[in-house]
Amino acid sequence: MINVCHLYPDLLNLYGDRGNIIAVKRRCQWRGIPVSVLEVSLNDDVDFMEQDFVFIGGGSDREQNLIAADLLKRKKELIKAIENGLVILAICGGYQLLGKYYLAGDGEKIPGLGIMDFYTRSGDKRLVGNVAVEIDIEGFKLKAAGFENHSGQTYLGNCKPLGKVLAGNGNNGKDGLEGARYKNVFCSYLHGPLLPKNARLTDYLINLAIKRRCMNIALDPLEADIEDQACLAMLGRLGFGKITN
Amino acid sequence: MKLKLFAAILAGKTVFWLSRLRGNKGTSLPGLVARKFYGDSLRVLAAQVRKEIIVVSGTNGKTTTCNMIVGMLMDAGYDTIANREGANMITGVTTSFILSADMGGNIDCDYAVLEVDEASMPKVLAEVTPSVVVLTNFFRDQLDRYWELDKIIRVIRDALSTLKRATLVLNADDPLVSQFSDNKLLPSVFYGLGKHQRCIKTNSQTREAKFCPYCGEQLIYDYFHYGQLGKYRCPNCYFERPDPFVEVLETVTTKKGMECRLIYDNKDVLLNIRARGLYNVYNAMAALSVGLRLGVDVDIVLESLGKYRTVTGRMESYVYHDKPAFLILVKNPTGFNEAIATLAAAEGAKDVFIAINDNEADGLDISWLWDVDFELLGEESSSYLCFICSGQRGEEIALRLKYAGIPPGKITIDRNIKTAIGNALSGRAGSTYLFTTYTALWPVHKIIKRLATEEIADDQCLSSVSGLAESVRRPR
Repeated sequence: MINVCHLYPDLLNLYGDRGNIIAVKRRCQWRGIPVSVLEVSLNDDVDFMEQDFVFIGGGSDREQNLIAADLLKRKKELIKAIENGLVILAICGGYQLLGKYYLAGDGEKIPGLGIMDFYTRSGDKRLVGNVAVEIDIEGFKLKAAGFENHSGQTYLGNCKPLGKVLAGNGNNGKDGLEGARYKNVFCSYLHGPLLPKNARLTDYLINLAIKRRCMNIALDPLEADIEDQACLAMLGRLGFGKITN
Repeated sequence: MKLKLFAAILAGKTVFWLSRLRGNKGTSLPGLVARKFYGDSLRVLAAQVRKEIIVVSGTNGKTTTCNMIVGMLMDAGYDTIANREGANMITGVTTSFILSADMGGNIDCDYAVLEVDEASMPKVLAEVTPSVVVLTNFFRDQLDRYWELDKIIRVIRDALSTLKRATLVLNADDPLVSQFSDNKLLPSVFYGLGKHQRCIKTNSQTREAKFCPYCGEQLIYDYFHYGQLGKYRCPNCYFERPDPFVEVLETVTTKKGMECRLIYDNKDVLLNIRARGLYNVYNAMAALSVGLRLGVDVDIVLESLGKYRTVTGRMESYVYHDKPAFLILVKNPTGFNEAIATLAAAEGAKDVFIAINDNEADGLDISWLWDVDFELLGEESSSYLCFICSGQRGEEIALRLKYAGIPPGKITIDRNIKTAIGNALSGRAGSTYLFTTYTALWPVHKIIKRLATEEIADDQCLSSVSGLAESVRRPR
């Protein structure tokens, strides 16, 4: 049984990001692995140590602030689970929340959870468009496609990026980096949503979740024909012909 | 001024005919050019409308509502100007006036009915003074352009605050719309859909308005129609769904459309529309509210709505070798969800064609496809024989369908729109449903017109279909 936890689906539901939950759920179910999805909203109880995959998306400013306050109350528990290898995918606003702070346009410094070493500052123009990135999965290079739409520009401190930007802007449009990774926490600006058409990344996350439970299951290979076609359609448009090298 | 206006009209009309010759529709460019010659073109021409100007804005239903209003005004014998479909920014609105003007700069019309893009409201209202403003609903639409709904609402609020005299015609069921009635200067009229047989208690669809616009408390719903539309109230303050002046209480789907029992001003009448889907009931109620406000005879309004035929892509009917086919334009999750509900409710086996483009007018970001409840189709996948996916992002919609639980064997990707449509029409099912985004609509329309015959609805069919007709007194 894989326990999937969707944080604040009622508040952070921009840009079809729930597709990431659908992707993990289906790719487990198609392999005969049962999945339960727990939706957690403000003040709901959740034990992160019990979870295998946690997803947090992005929302508009008002919702982001509500959530930051709620997450702060859960910070200690969350850090404990992260150190224990909990797999988390955080997209866009959810990504920003995990960092040290967000510097708003008027100079106000809105604190984040401070779990990872990066900060975000409000940019003067929105970074919008299709993106191709190269993600390093344990030495294996993978090209992924998605769509970014953010005004916040993120700068990493002592923290690894998720990947290198091949086309588009990524974290800030300047340093060529996209997303962030710490242990099994994966952060990205990519909507699209990210996981469905980047099936190898999805399978990697599922694998990590299974490993943490010390379950000795090798993931059955699963055909990913339509997934690859959807990914390649965008990679091709951006000038890249192959998903793997 | 006269000379500048003359130059603007001449230039606008010339550009229109030139773009026509090149095969374009010429809906925005003439207005753009005319405004370069004379920035006050729209202001001067719109001021000549004899009676009133009606503006329709909101996310879904603008075009249909406008067309319904135009239809009833024409049927009532009035000369009416309207902007063409999709050309709903200030250049498109200007184009409609430039094309209607004579070379002397005169406009000869009683009414102007203008569809206005939400983000264009400030610009348009700065130059045009409507006496009726209709707000249909607010859903997320083309997120890369309008990333936050709150912002759009603020922009429209500011734009309306510049009006001194106008009636707001508001959808009572949408809390994002009904909140506009707090405008102290402008009176409001509400229309809404009462509790009917298809109401749902909970709603998993993407819901926009979860919080009271005044006090921030989570809204409580007695029931939903779709999206955030329904009967809501704030447990903390006075905000709640207002009582509508125009309300539909029952709907029955008939062979050619819908029959609705409608109450207005304590009168009970029967409204027939030749279209399906609750969104069309809303469009008709909005149009009817405008008709009543303008003092159009209610019999003319009802008759006009009863013969209104949907325009391209808003559920057009065709026949291909005795097999019915329906063409539906999809632009955002809410519209697509409603279209899917219509598809799921239709009987028999179905073949499905979906074309998704990601040009500017479609929305560059197609991630909204993941907010559409295709799972509804996946649960009943035996009712669907094939899904043919096309358009610039055909692969992505195929992927979405696979993850919605449709067996991959039923999903085909065909970038060639022509063969894709041909195969969907000639599939083995009893009917074909074709869904397309905005820029795919015209090519699809062209091809289907060549392959299939357009179905013209029979005027008589509605009155004989359902029992509702006998139980409700028809208006004389």
